[in-house]
Amino acid sequence: MAETLLQLDRLTKLYPGTIALHDATLGLERGEVHGIIGKNGAGKTTLVKIISGIETPTSGTLTVRGIPHAGWTRTEARVHGISIVSQEPQLVPDFTVAENLFTPDYPRSRTGLIRWREMVRQAERVLSKAGIGVSPRARGSDLTLSEQQLVLVARAFFVDRSEIVLLDEVTASLSEKDEALLDGLIKGQKAAGRAIIYITHRMAEIMRLCDRVSVLRDGRVVATERVSKLDEARLSAYITGSAAVGPSVAAPEDVRADAAAPLLRVESLSLSGRFEDIRLELHEGESLGLAGLRGCGRTEIMKSLAGILRPDAGRVLLDGRDASVHDPEEALHRGIVYLPEDRDHEGLIETHGVRLNLSLSSLGAVLHGPFIDRRREAERTAGLISLLSIDTPSAEQEVRYLSGGNKQKVVVGRILSTRPRLYLLDEPTKGIDIAAKRGIVTMIRTVLRKDAGVILTSPGLDDLMEACDRILVLHRGRVIAAFSRDEFDESRIYIAMQGLGSKE
Amino acid sequence: MNRAMRLKLFFLDNLIWVILVVFFLFNSLFTPSFMKPENLVNIFYHSTVLSMLVLGQGIILLTGNIDLSIESTLAFAPAIAMLISMKWLPGGLNPYVAILVTLGVGALIGLMNGFFVSRVGINSFIHTLSMEIILRGLTLFLVPFALFKLGPVYTFLGSARIGGEIPVAIVLMLVVFAVMSVVLRSMPFGRHILATGGNPTAAYVAGVPVKRMILLAFMMSGILAAIAGLLAAGRQDAVNNSMGKDMVLFTFAGAILGGCSLDGGKGSALGMLGGALLLGMISNALTLMGINVFILYATYGFLIFVAVLLDRLRVRLRERIFFKENLRRLEGFDTK
Repeated sequence: MAETLLQLDRLTKLYPGTIALHDATLGLERGEVHGIIGKNGAGKTTLVKIISGIETPTSGTLTVRGIPHAGWTRTEARVHGISIVSQEPQLVPDFTVAENLFTPDYPRSRTGLIRWREMVRQAERVLSKAGIGVSPRARGSDLTLSEQQLVLVARAFFVDRSEIVLLDEVTASLSEKDEALLDGLIKGQKAAGRAIIYITHRMAEIMRLCDRVSVLRDGRVVATERVSKLDEARLSAYITGSAAVGPSVAAPEDVRADAAAPLLRVESLSLSGRFEDIRLELHEGESLGLAGLRGCGRTEIMKSLAGILRPDAGRVLLDGRDASVHDPEEALHRGIVYLPEDRDHEGLIETHGVRLNLSLSSLGAVLHGPFIDRRREAERTAGLISLLSIDTPSAEQEVRYLSGGNKQKVVVGRILSTRPRLYLLDEPTKGIDIAAKRGIVTMIRTVLRKDAGVILTSPGLDDLMEACDRILVLHRGRVIAAFSRDEFDESRIYIAMQGLGSKE
Repeated sequence: MNRAMRLKLFFLDNLIWVILVVFFLFNSLFTPSFMKPENLVNIFYHSTVLSMLVLGQGIILLTGNIDLSIESTLAFAPAIAMLISMKWLPGGLNPYVAILVTLGVGALIGLMNGFFVSRVGINSFIHTLSMEIILRGLTLFLVPFALFKLGPVYTFLGSARIGGEIPVAIVLMLVVFAVMSVVLRSMPFGRHILATGGNPTAAYVAGVPVKRMILLAFMMSGILAAIAGLLAAGRQDAVNNSMGKDMVLFTFAGAILGGCSLDGGKGSALGMLGGALLLGMISNALTLMGINVFILYATYGFLIFVAVLLDRLRVRLRERIFFKENLRRLEGFDTK
């Protein structure tokens, strides 16, 4: 039996209103790569935060080097030899690669001055050991996201020399070439006796890289198994909690029985590096889900349809007419509205009141001559507040004082009041509580779908399956499978999202 | 939200006018000759030039930008118009056309500012700083001393008095503020300006033409600065090269006192008018009290400092009210 480096015992984390982690027990052995997989909201993030010292558990212990702890701070985690590489690579943009590697422990001379030349020399050594082809003198901002991520991995392995390294979805921003490099690095470091916790969404990586895997579901560790004893169907069943089914065959683009002309037709839309050759049709009264892992291109497709990104090629037809738009203003005129994933920064003017936010996109409808008819505006605002049951003490309440779910309803109300033909909803159920989620899903199926088409994404498949008539699965910027409502099966869709089981 | 809270909010949101009234009452009791009708008219009259600049600055602040060039535009625009009509054009210029030229020059400067800030993406502070120095330098070069005798039409707005009592400038000021108040409150343009300053990204996603809004705001502030120049030149029947010097700092004071925020998205025309009038009243009162000339400027600054502190207090109090309101609602949930 190998030596256990880190033992987590019955970790529980409660947040007001939710149990993020419940009795999670997990052991990490020297020389193993331990995968952690689970759906969004399964508790992966909470687990990472506890191990890295950002959060302390409500109960349970973490044992490192034989000493149990009830939690630790970030600095203590470092002292215990734990490094974290997070999914959003963060190099200081104006620092050189060498500085980024060694901050804050610069090599110093006896008088305490930083020895720059020595630092660059050491950085060169680290980079060549890791096999990363960047100059130590390059600035953080000169590197691609993928390179930045690799530099941080190299830092965890070769500068901090941590025994335990957490890699939190690092492949999300890696290019394919760099992914191969990372694989090699991980295998080498495993042989050197380090322990690696590998958090991911992608089953293929678990199968390829990990020795053991722990599956999280609804805040519990539902299984810890040797990967050699698993296959993808079993793993997927653990993750989704539904019975295992064989890999699905990609369904062809379904032809609808009613031959009515489609509301939206997208013809081989492409944006280099993001998505390629997207074709889809959407009928009036239909809601279409885009499912896929981070980086599959779902947000970019929506932003392209909304005029925020410019696709390189392809055609978009709305009601049979060309609807390639250049900016959101033009999209608005054509009846295309976009609900951004980043609600607080892209969806709301938070320092303004509910009324101003609700009216912003549809002032034209309450105009009397060149002026805003304030009475009509007030009536419409009141109508929207009651239609969407927005919980606010007054229409003038500043939006920033509202809860997440109510903020989201304000954005929905804003785009709803433009009476669009096409709704693009990017993760409308993100970061809101169960009741509000229900409300939004119901709204999509009743109010929004009427006289319009809806395209949406969601961090969780359950929301998509509830809200959509059809789901397209995206993988690395391509549509690889389609499911109609009677074929919905969480486990099969999940496998398709991994890019597995597709025969195309 | 109950009535007491609404009342408090109303007071806080219109704090500048509360301060103005308090300061007015204070002066009416303690400052000699303050309450004489001539003096009251005087306060308004002397506020007209600054108020135009405060309004221009305020609109720029609403979009989340800064315009330092307005004080130079104030001198440059009438200087160009008068140079054309007195020196460059042999036959002279129709005085009405000269007024239009003045406004046109202001608009053009605003257009340039707006173009470089919104389309080229230069930080507005840096860009308008260079513009302010360029324009002042050009004015100094083109008008080494001053231009006199501008003619009755050109000086009408700045110096004429209705019935020999009420200056036309005051009427003009009130009209401009009334118009801008309607534009900002009740026209889509105003909403779009507010949204642009409140959160440019969200405004863009919501379909607001953010860049065009910034461009138009700079044009408006350029035109308002030109109007200020027209009033200033008309008052002294001369264009001199130091007109408007150092006024830009007071425009910030006035706009922020009037409820604008340097972060953008906040403020109203009515508030800006209040801010400008308060500054006018402060300077008037200090002069009447016979404050030593050498300490006058510092006192002026100190009073602005106090007023801005009060403004911070206003923001805090406002947040407290909302916080309490949320607490009250939470308690309501517990008992439900």
